[in-house]
Amino acid sequence: MSKKSKDLIPPGLAYVADNIISKHNLLGAPGETGARWAEKLNLPKEAETIFFAGCGYQYNDSLQSLMSLIRKLDKSPIGAELPMGLAGFQKKLGFDPAQVYRRLTAKNSDSAAQPLRDAVKVLQKLGVEFGYLAEDEPCCGGLLHYIGLEKDFVRNARNLYENLKSHGVKRIIGIVPSCTYTLAELIPQHVPGYDLEVKHFLQVVLEGIEDRELRFPREVKVAYHDPCQLSRYLGLIEEPRRILRAVKGIELVEPEWTYGEWSTCCGGGGGFEVVFPELSQILAVNRAKELVETGAQILVTHCPGCVMQLEEGLKALKARDVEVLDLAQVVAMAMGG
Amino acid sequence: MGGFGEYKKEIMNAAHNERIRLALSRAIKRYRANVDKALKEFPQTVELAEEVREIKEKAIGRMDQLAEQACQVIEANHGKAYIARTAEDALNIIGGLVGSGKLVVKAKSMTSEEIGLREHLEEGGNEVYETDLGEFIVQKLGSKPMHILAPAVHVPKEDVAKLLSEITGQELPADIEVLVATARKLLREKFFNADIGISGSNVVAAETGSLFLIENEGNIRLTTSAPPVHIALVGMEKLVPTLHEAWKVAEVTWRYANYTIPQYISVVSGPSSTGDIEKVITYGAHGPREFHVIFLDGGRTELARNPGLSQVLYCLRCGGCLYECPVFGVTAGHFGDKYFAGIGAIWAAMITGDREKAAALAYTCLTCGRCKIRCPMKIDVPEMVVELRKLLVEGGLS
Repeated sequence: MSKKSKDLIPPGLAYVADNIISKHNLLGAPGETGARWAEKLNLPKEAETIFFAGCGYQYNDSLQSLMSLIRKLDKSPIGAELPMGLAGFQKKLGFDPAQVYRRLTAKNSDSAAQPLRDAVKVLQKLGVEFGYLAEDEPCCGGLLHYIGLEKDFVRNARNLYENLKSHGVKRIIGIVPSCTYTLAELIPQHVPGYDLEVKHFLQVVLEGIEDRELRFPREVKVAYHDPCQLSRYLGLIEEPRRILRAVKGIELVEPEWTYGEWSTCCGGGGGFEVVFPELSQILAVNRAKELVETGAQILVTHCPGCVMQLEEGLKALKARDVEVLDLAQVVAMAMGG
Repeated sequence: MGGFGEYKKEIMNAAHNERIRLALSRAIKRYRANVDKALKEFPQTVELAEEVREIKEKAIGRMDQLAEQACQVIEANHGKAYIARTAEDALNIIGGLVGSGKLVVKAKSMTSEEIGLREHLEEGGNEVYETDLGEFIVQKLGSKPMHILAPAVHVPKEDVAKLLSEITGQELPADIEVLVATARKLLREKFFNADIGISGSNVVAAETGSLFLIENEGNIRLTTSAPPVHIALVGMEKLVPTLHEAWKVAEVTWRYANYTIPQYISVVSGPSSTGDIEKVITYGAHGPREFHVIFLDGGRTELARNPGLSQVLYCLRCGGCLYECPVFGVTAGHFGDKYFAGIGAIWAAMITGDREKAAALAYTCLTCGRCKIRCPMKIDVPEMVVELRKLLVEGGLS
């Protein structure tokens, strides 16, 4: 007998999909927790141009805690499947284990949302006017598409468009590569008359920094890691490098083969990390190794998933003198804090 | 999740196997350097690949017609040609031709791997030798190929020495030259005593019924010319209309398979013949007297009609994508079924029809897209994998 079609989805992904569908974010957390990073920034909610923060950065701390737990389970004799499978089942009974994991493991800081605060600072310094939808920001739903739940993806896409239109949004500045690709390329295929202009943060920065003096606080060797969705999907390969080269004090170094369109995936692609947590970690270590071998002191990337993976990789390599920074942080630092 | 759980266990065992990782990391480095060099020496290959993509696009839409045409030409040329709709049909045809109690030598063929030909013939009471060195090693290890072109990519030389020592009863050193010479000696008598030689083909020209066979070792030449009978099993997607187009496909295939210049390219169109005595054409001169070609559909024509997945049929089987896959880089062919990595998931779903296996493979793909950058046909594997997940999850697959 063949399995029921939806049973073919690995449990970890089914769990994430359920979060997106029922709670409108990857983690199934209440919306206001995602918006907490922006509390003191006083960004207007109603604006024609909005900054789309995305789940990845906003829930990064909780995602990290959850991932580390899943990884531990995956290596244990229990395996990650059973608890992840149960998670969906228990949720139906009104008990959400992710909530428990989060309470157990959540850090008090939200340092992982720093790239968002920095990106906002950079945009403000460049004189870009924009708003932020905070708890009303919808999940792009991209992962539903990658999981194969196309009907749910299309439903989410149409709701998202309605939602953004009702807020009077005309232009979007995206930052998470996957969300930006979803908003720019995937959703328009399913929403007739889609008329939102989508740009990536990097493109906006590049337009704005031309005659600015950019200086990193110290002299450093930097290796840039291309997120798959930013490079191979959105085609933004030269842009981040042009920004990095424009920063005084930064020397950009590249691995022998694996950069630009040939960049190696960090191992966190398309939900892979929740299906194969341990394998994903092995791939993270491999990628971190390729980058560390360049002699770089800082690994710069521009995706919350890649940041998490590279940090994981460095930890395993015990490369304590190498750090991971998001490009938004680097630009903010280079513009003078 | 029994099926998935077992698969995950297998793939994780592979990922923890340092030998696999070591062997692959070396192979990947060499592959990249070799292709880079090949494309620098023959820069026209890139443009040629674009032309080949167009050739394949047109040919895939009319595989049936091309197969019919090739069959007619081969028959007119005193060969025998067959169209097998299913893997089972192909096994029956070949099983019938081979019979039992025969000595069979085989060239490496993924299509024969796809239908389990060697096992079928062995069960039928035949002695079958894989003659590609890597495939021979894998056969003798009782393992399965871990790469479509380099089946023993995961086996270090020390393990080969141990294996060949057991077979020959002699203590052999882990010296690659000695090992190759030993395999040569072992297989030589098999070529000349074999009743039947079996091969695949890299590309087939329908207008002349010509099979192109690309290789370095020379085992394909021997397999297809020393025994009195040559049987070729070819997937229908390998057909292109003309001889000229076939040459183009062949050249792009070998270049991306990192053979700058392959040592041998055989073009076989019929049984061996001579007219040297009184101009009377007689078959079976120095080469095989019988030449049989089996064109396998096995889901291909149905696949060609699926707009989201049909591009999988453009695949030249150069194997380049595998070297670029980060998951393959640590697990080798364990991330696969009959075919490997992301593109292997499509084959698993459409050709072998195992939905659970296909789903497991589809969700092992990172959808990172580096394979697409390498692919000479620019096959969009991530797009197909996501399409496949959709078809599996939403129940669109028959």
